[in-house]
Amino acid sequence: MSAALPIPVIQLLQVLTVAVAAPGVTGVIAKVEARLQGRRGPRIAQPYYDLAKLFRKEALAPEGASWFFLAAPLIAVTCYLTIPLLIPVLTSYGLPLGYMGDILGGGFLLSLASFVVATAALETGSPYAQLGSSRAKTFSAIAEPVVLFVVFTVALLTGTDLPYALAATVRSSAGQVIRPAHLLAAAALFMVILHETGRIPVETHTGTNEFGMIEEARAFEHSGPYFALLRWGGQLKQLILFTILADVFLAPWGLASTQRAADIGLAIVALLAKAVAVGCAVAVIDNSFAKLRLFKITEFVSGAFLLAVLGVFTLYLGGG
Amino acid sequence: MNLALTDPALTGTVQAPGVYEGVANVIAAAMLLIEFGMLRQALARDQIRLYAAQSALLSVLAIVIAADRNLPDLYALAALSAGLKVVAVPLVLRRLLGRPGAGSAPDEDEPAGVAGSQTLSPASAVLAGIVLAAYGFFCAGALGIHGPAAPATALAIAAAMVLVAFGLMIVRRDVASQAIGFFSLENAISLAALVVAAGLPLILETAFLFDLLVAVVVFGMLIRAHHTKAESLSTADLTRLRG
Amino acid sequence: MIGVVLSILIVPLAAGLACVALPARAAAAVTVASGLASFALVLAVVPAAAHHDLSYLSYLRVDALSAIFLLATGFLYGAVAMYAVGYLKGHHDRRFYAGLNLFAWAMLAAPLMSSLALLWIAVEVTTIISALLVAIEDTDGAAEAAWKYVLIASTGLGLALLGTVFAYYAGSQVLGEHYNLAIGPLIAAGPHLPHIPATLAFLLALLGYGTKVGLFPVHTWLPDAHSEAPTPVSALLSGSLLAVSFYAILRFYQFTAAALGSALPRDALLAFGMASLLLAALYVFGQRDVKRLLAYSSVEHMGILAIGVSFGAPVALAGVMLHVLAHAAAKGNAFMGAGVFTVKFGSKQISALRGGLDLLPWSGPLFLLAVFALAAMPPSGIFRSEFQIVYGGLAAGNYAAAAALIAGVTVAFFGLTASATRMLFTPAQLRARSGISRGEPSAWMVVPVIAGVAVLFILGLHPPAELNGLIHRAVTELGAA
Repeated sequence: MSAALPIPVIQLLQVLTVAVAAPGVTGVIAKVEARLQGRRGPRIAQPYYDLAKLFRKEALAPEGASWFFLAAPLIAVTCYLTIPLLIPVLTSYGLPLGYMGDILGGGFLLSLASFVVATAALETGSPYAQLGSSRAKTFSAIAEPVVLFVVFTVALLTGTDLPYALAATVRSSAGQVIRPAHLLAAAALFMVILHETGRIPVETHTGTNEFGMIEEARAFEHSGPYFALLRWGGQLKQLILFTILADVFLAPWGLASTQRAADIGLAIVALLAKAVAVGCAVAVIDNSFAKLRLFKITEFVSGAFLLAVLGVFTLYLGGG
Repeated sequence: MNLALTDPALTGTVQAPGVYEGVANVIAAAMLLIEFGMLRQALARDQIRLYAAQSALLSVLAIVIAADRNLPDLYALAALSAGLKVVAVPLVLRRLLGRPGAGSAPDEDEPAGVAGSQTLSPASAVLAGIVLAAYGFFCAGALGIHGPAAPATALAIAAAMVLVAFGLMIVRRDVASQAIGFFSLENAISLAALVVAAGLPLILETAFLFDLLVAVVVFGMLIRAHHTKAESLSTADLTRLRG
Repeated sequence: MIGVVLSILIVPLAAGLACVALPARAAAAVTVASGLASFALVLAVVPAAAHHDLSYLSYLRVDALSAIFLLATGFLYGAVAMYAVGYLKGHHDRRFYAGLNLFAWAMLAAPLMSSLALLWIAVEVTTIISALLVAIEDTDGAAEAAWKYVLIASTGLGLALLGTVFAYYAGSQVLGEHYNLAIGPLIAAGPHLPHIPATLAFLLALLGYGTKVGLFPVHTWLPDAHSEAPTPVSALLSGSLLAVSFYAILRFYQFTAAALGSALPRDALLAFGMASLLLAALYVFGQRDVKRLLAYSSVEHMGILAIGVSFGAPVALAGVMLHVLAHAAAKGNAFMGAGVFTVKFGSKQISALRGGLDLLPWSGPLFLLAVFALAAMPPSGIFRSEFQIVYGGLAAGNYAAAAALIAGVTVAFFGLTASATRMLFTPAQLRARSGISRGEPSAWMVVPVIAGVAVLFILGLHPPAELNGLIHRAVTELGAA
């Protein structure tokens, strides 16, 4: 069974894999976390059921909210679904639409989605939503330069901006894996992931703590299908970031190098396994550390910034 | 429709430095990160632990260099350095930084906290540290000195570490942080020495180490004297002598 | 000769260790014996060192340059050891004597080291021991001064260590990887040394050891430490330790000049020296504490040393060598005299020290002589050495610098003598009210000052021929430009 799949199908599979698997990854993380705490935990498919339930519910909007409030979740999900076209999800070679944007474009799309959701929350005038938005944007002020510096590291390492190129470079030799720039960039990206997906030590994922919530608060005023889209968007973002970390930085193996269906299938399984592995690491961190107090989150993000900057420096001197 | 399976745009890869150099650079970078970590810590006890970790990394680097460059002296030096800087010095520091006098409570050997002694918040201190490190990096890089033992990046990291250690001494207003900043400065200079002067005869290196131990004792005694007099570790009141 | 050199190393060390175990009075006696013996031993080395370099045991080396600094330290050690007995009369402290001996040991060891690494270690040891000595009187001021001193000086020495590492790198490029930082081979390999590491080594060493010398802007610990320390320690700090640290700079100067030519080192030394001189000259005015006043004067004199080396002419370098010796004697005298005042009147503030000439029949006039000698009044050795330095500057064409030097020295002269005369001459109405009886606190504190003043005038009027030979040889070693 080595039928060659046509390229458009592979591209579609990339998007579909991410879209379908995202809630599953969230479910796995919740289950692992519960097991680590000695509970049985929810079933792994619970997020799917949640999304299905939410899609059936009625949608409400606050008075005074404009079309933007309703459009924002759609724009966000669209951005998130576009990114799998740009990054190596299943294949180690570049796909045609993958040249639409480089890793900088991917970062831009992520920021755009985040910005759109935050603006929609601000638009409502509700105190909690505004609280979440302002906090999120404050910390993003330091977190987004981190993403930029990680991008610069990629660019300096490979001479191009394409994530595919970095994956190939990392695969090429052991020396590439342990160079400090690479490790520093990966560590910085991991800290950004913790920040963007709202995990310990930035935010508690279980239960809403109104003194500390950032990501959760932005979705407060949306309801019904729009809320479902926001939730799904958050899960998509999580899986995308995990994919970037695993497929570009840490473990770019298991990607299909041909077009054969068997290889693609193997690649899907490998991707899910890697995402679950990163998710387990996140779950372990969730259970090991306490949430940082809000004013200390700047320290956390500046730590990520430090790692990213050091990565660029060590590279720039032509050694690391 | 068969796309090229190898991407022609992938030819711009920057050459990796090799496994040994990569490991050496990673260790040096980790030492620099620990230096930044010291900027954040509020408790003297934690700073001492970070210093011990940094010294341990230095010993590991010495072993790596010894293995790669075939310098058997460095093994002995690594062991000695580990014994002194990872075990002896933190022990001495912890004893000397404990609360003096009292003696009433049985566990009063707990080193004092130095929270609130920072002139900048940790995030600002880290950002300032980044600026200092950048300056050190690029100055050292511009010199173009290539040590035979470890790569040029490690030397640049050492220079950055020196500057950040100075920064640590400047932004902290308590004697414990200043002392530990000074010891990490010595670590940074030892890192530079490993990069550039790995072949220095063992007897000289040993003399350096014991000299450091004596310095630690003296620092500790003076800290103790200050602590007894001022009832705190803060240097904010050391303003009697001016002009 | 190896016996003599080894004895110089062993005697103070043994004395220091012995003092830890002996009762206080015995410790005092051992200290005096050790001080005088060390001075005698150093004097014994001088004739040999004036003719050729001596090397022993691959780590000891005496050349003319070392001998000069050994002389400065040896003389002060002997003088201060006697002085300390009088200073501590009634409350002898064996820890103090032990520290004093070990401090002198480290300062005597530094010029004897043949390796830059061991030189650094010796200077670091002097820092550590002297920091404890500064803090020994356990006042608030002493604790503060000791902390500032040990932190700033150790940090500066850290930079100097970095400079030493780069010097090793430069040397190892030519002399092989297991090079042990010996000074002689390094200077010999001078022209082949890579330029950038050598430059870096010199600049870092200048800044680092310059911290210990007290050059602007890293001199901030100096006034505090020298004023809060007990007077015998202050005398040693100002007279010998600053000189030994300057010796370290001179060693780096030697090989850098061989490697790069002397233009850059001289410019750097001129900049630092001029800044130190001008700053110290200004600060000398308005000082209320007599020892702080003398400390700033030390900064000024170290600046003069740096400027002298930067002139580069042989006569200027000869002046520098003579100045090291004369300053040791003069500063030692001044501090010892001031110490008598502080013991007698119980305070360091100039306003509290009045009527010296009347109440201290020996120390008063001696202090007056000492301060004038320090301020370069002829025929003191300081006048001779500064004259030589200025002459060298004019001969080398550095007119502006020479003029600035004269101006700075003049300003400092006014500052010093103004304060000193205030201490010595009393208006009639205050004399009756003071209630302090006339008389010397101790003869032990007078004799060393007499010896010091005598030495100073000998140096100024007619330096012995052996000494001239030594200085001449040291100048050739420094490589007159």
